[in-house]
Amino acid sequence: MSGERYRGFVFVPAELAEEAELSLEQKKEILYLHANLATLSYWDLLGIPWNASCEEAQEAFRRQALSLHPDRLRGKRLGRFGARLQAIFPKLNEARETLADPGRRSAYARKTASPTERAKLEVRDIQEERRAEERRARLARQNPIVAKVARVGELMTRARRALEEGRWSQAANDFQLVCSLDPKNEEARKQADEARRKAAASRAAELHEKGLATELGGSLQAALTLFREAVEVDPGSSHAATAASRVARTLGDLPTARDMAERAVRAGPRDAAAHEALAQALAAQGDSKEARRVAERALELDPRLEGAKAVLKKRWGLFG
Amino acid sequence: MSELDLEPVIGIDLGTTNSVVATVIDGVPRVIQGRSGQLLTPSVVALAKNGKRLVGQIAKRQAITNAENTVHAAKRLIGRRWGSKEVEDAARILPYQLVAGPEGHDVRIRLGERAYAVPEISAMVLSELKADAEAFFGRRVSKAVVTVPAYFNDGQRHATKDAGRIAGLEVLRIINEPTSAALAYGFAKQMEKKVVVFDLGGGTFDISVLDIGKSVYDVVAVGGDTYLGGEDFDRRVMDWIVFAFAKENAGIDLRSDKMALQRLKDAAEKAKIELSSSPATSISLPFLVGGGEGRPALHLEKQLTREKLEELTGDLVDRCIRVVERTLRDAGVRARDVGDVILVGGMTRMPRVQRAVREFFGREPSRGVHPEEVVALGAAIQAQNLAYPAKGQSEVLLLDVTPHNLGILVVGGYFETIIPKNTTVPTSANRIFTTVQDNQTAVRIAVLQGESERATDNELLGEFVLDGLRAARRGEVEVEVQFDISADGIVGVSARDLQTGQRQSITVTATSGLTEEELRHILEENVDEALERKQAQSDFERRREAAEAVMREIEGLVPAVSDALARSRFGKDAVQKAVGVIQRVRQALAARDVQSLEANEEQLDRTLQLFKSLAAGGRPPEDPR
Repeated sequence: MSGERYRGFVFVPAELAEEAELSLEQKKEILYLHANLATLSYWDLLGIPWNASCEEAQEAFRRQALSLHPDRLRGKRLGRFGARLQAIFPKLNEARETLADPGRRSAYARKTASPTERAKLEVRDIQEERRAEERRARLARQNPIVAKVARVGELMTRARRALEEGRWSQAANDFQLVCSLDPKNEEARKQADEARRKAAASRAAELHEKGLATELGGSLQAALTLFREAVEVDPGSSHAATAASRVARTLGDLPTARDMAERAVRAGPRDAAAHEALAQALAAQGDSKEARRVAERALELDPRLEGAKAVLKKRWGLFG
Repeated sequence: MSELDLEPVIGIDLGTTNSVVATVIDGVPRVIQGRSGQLLTPSVVALAKNGKRLVGQIAKRQAITNAENTVHAAKRLIGRRWGSKEVEDAARILPYQLVAGPEGHDVRIRLGERAYAVPEISAMVLSELKADAEAFFGRRVSKAVVTVPAYFNDGQRHATKDAGRIAGLEVLRIINEPTSAALAYGFAKQMEKKVVVFDLGGGTFDISVLDIGKSVYDVVAVGGDTYLGGEDFDRRVMDWIVFAFAKENAGIDLRSDKMALQRLKDAAEKAKIELSSSPATSISLPFLVGGGEGRPALHLEKQLTREKLEELTGDLVDRCIRVVERTLRDAGVRARDVGDVILVGGMTRMPRVQRAVREFFGREPSRGVHPEEVVALGAAIQAQNLAYPAKGQSEVLLLDVTPHNLGILVVGGYFETIIPKNTTVPTSANRIFTTVQDNQTAVRIAVLQGESERATDNELLGEFVLDGLRAARRGEVEVEVQFDISADGIVGVSARDLQTGQRQSITVTATSGLTEEELRHILEENVDEALERKQAQSDFERRREAAEAVMREIEGLVPAVSDALARSRFGKDAVQKAVGVIQRVRQALAARDVQSLEANEEQLDRTLQLFKSLAAGGRPPEDPR
């Protein structure tokens, strides 16, 4: 471990001088980690730079383990370092569990990106974009055949702007145009699909809003029709499906309630309200075991859902 | 300090059918040969007809004639609860008698007059191995690493540790068999790869996925079935014979005859082993069972082909592969990412098992020459590592995981996981819970281990109460429950009232098996026994010296007495009688038979008195008898 690691950290001489069968490096590492256990990031715990790879994390963890695992220090006089070590190792474990797992690592990396790192990333993006634009313009000037490419570029830019501004149908049209000019343009094809989906979603959202208003107005059957239409237009709208399930359940149409809730969960596997609706629909149908399972999942996603709690009743308490 | 000056440490593979002890000498792990030259010691304990306790090969050999008092496969019972399905299944097929422990929740084995706790039985096997090691080193051995199946739960591990204590061993660590095998396999090799250990032994099936790198043995996931092993394969063969036999012999059920059953068991095991190397074998058991009603005894003669054996046991192999699949999924490792598959345990000699593994992983599995010994070798390496961490030849670090979910009971009878399985130890985790009733001032924390979300299906490790909570509406009082698992695998649980700071904690010790008090009692008993033995020995030595002195004196007087008697009419046979007495005493001394020595001491003394008076020229007194 380089001296860089402990920059800004002041070792208490008496602590460092305590008699123990440990090397100076080990003592320093233990004191440093223990004093900062609550504030160090997983990266810092393992002594690796932000956004280091899973392999680096794994290797760093092993290096730390070889030096600080209780088994490696068994039977040694550790003095007060012993107790500190006990607190440290579980934390190192925790850091490894996150950083050596590709999914968890990247989520943690996003969460822990420092402002400078984020800025650096953005600057890099902008610079790259500018360079690419210049290159395209140069090519267009030099070679008329490339004009088509320039046209494609223009259309793409316009479509992207439309996307940003939420004019989904416009964006879908532009992207479609690019696809016909340049059939091999994968991005345009993807974006066109995306824009169409977004267009559907915005239409569904409209229907959803309307449905909510209708529901408040008291005509549940009409609201249900609107919600269902929203689901048909955009099967990815878990909100509309959740609402449809809720209304259907109030109306006593349990099969529909369940069907809609199932669609909601499929559309939004991480949508807590959708899970809650499914749990309630299942409970209403009398399948309490499955209902509990789903309610549990709902509470995992959002622990404050009263409806899911009601399905589970007093699930989280302890006996007296 | 050289290695020779350090107290030797051992690694013990305490198996279902066989056990092995190993050590590390000059940095190289090796198996210790038993005093009778064997490498594998059968995990069998028996109480012979003459009341003597037998362990190992000698116990196994007499199993046929003494089935009720011969305990094998005790590992299947260790740390199990009385009344559990596993114990009930075992009770049906084991020839010895199982009874409930005094508290009613653990299993005892009846052997003669006494009911032994299962750890006591295992301790007898461990003592035997310890004695083998002591004979090998010519000095005391007191520290050991003992292996258990990776899938053993906390109760089973504690019970195994207790067995070590009863045997007079300080158990440095309980480690997992597959991990241990991987350690031996990777020993002195530089490796960077993912390794799967497939361990099919006598009674249990275990699988571990390890990521080995930089001499760190990092266990990623473990799985297994503690009721799947060679004995199940044997039983399939036995059942097949029993049914065929009943069909051919008017419904005679071999299972009703304990002796026949024991012979059958041995024959089935032998046939299974033979079929690993040859395509067919014959099972021949003459005079297996009486014909009944005066008819001649019936013989058994059967051919068993490898094909038939594979047909009988195909589903057991499939079960293994399903566990493998599940464990790889838990580990997040695909079969093709695995760099090596190591086969461990005697059952992996079976071609069908090897084929299944080969097909699943799409690669040739590796196997050492002795799949039975590799676990003990790894245990020896780890024992050396833990006892002398600084002196290790290579820097080896084992990072093992918790094999089961650990958590607590919550309202509704549910199990809430706090530390999920396959978490590297040491580790800690906490979770916040709330009260469920208004003005509830105490919460009960029941610590459980297992995979089911229903608390009752899991193993209860211990429980305690946190009281003195502030009276408040339900759900308002928050209790933080913290779990810690040390590198030794010891589970500590504490609960804290977040408002008042009130705190309660326990260190989880086995709730099944022996209580601490009982254990102390057994240990004291062992000490008492040892003391008695020692006392008896010194007592005997004292008597021997006295008797030898008297005999020397008598023999010295023989010429004088013969002279005196030649001039006398009486006691012509005195010398002859004296020779007889001396002979009897010598026999007693040679046999170390205290009782017969005691019985002859008086006569010896009287003979001396007689000889003294005769030699002094006196008349022989009346016949001394």
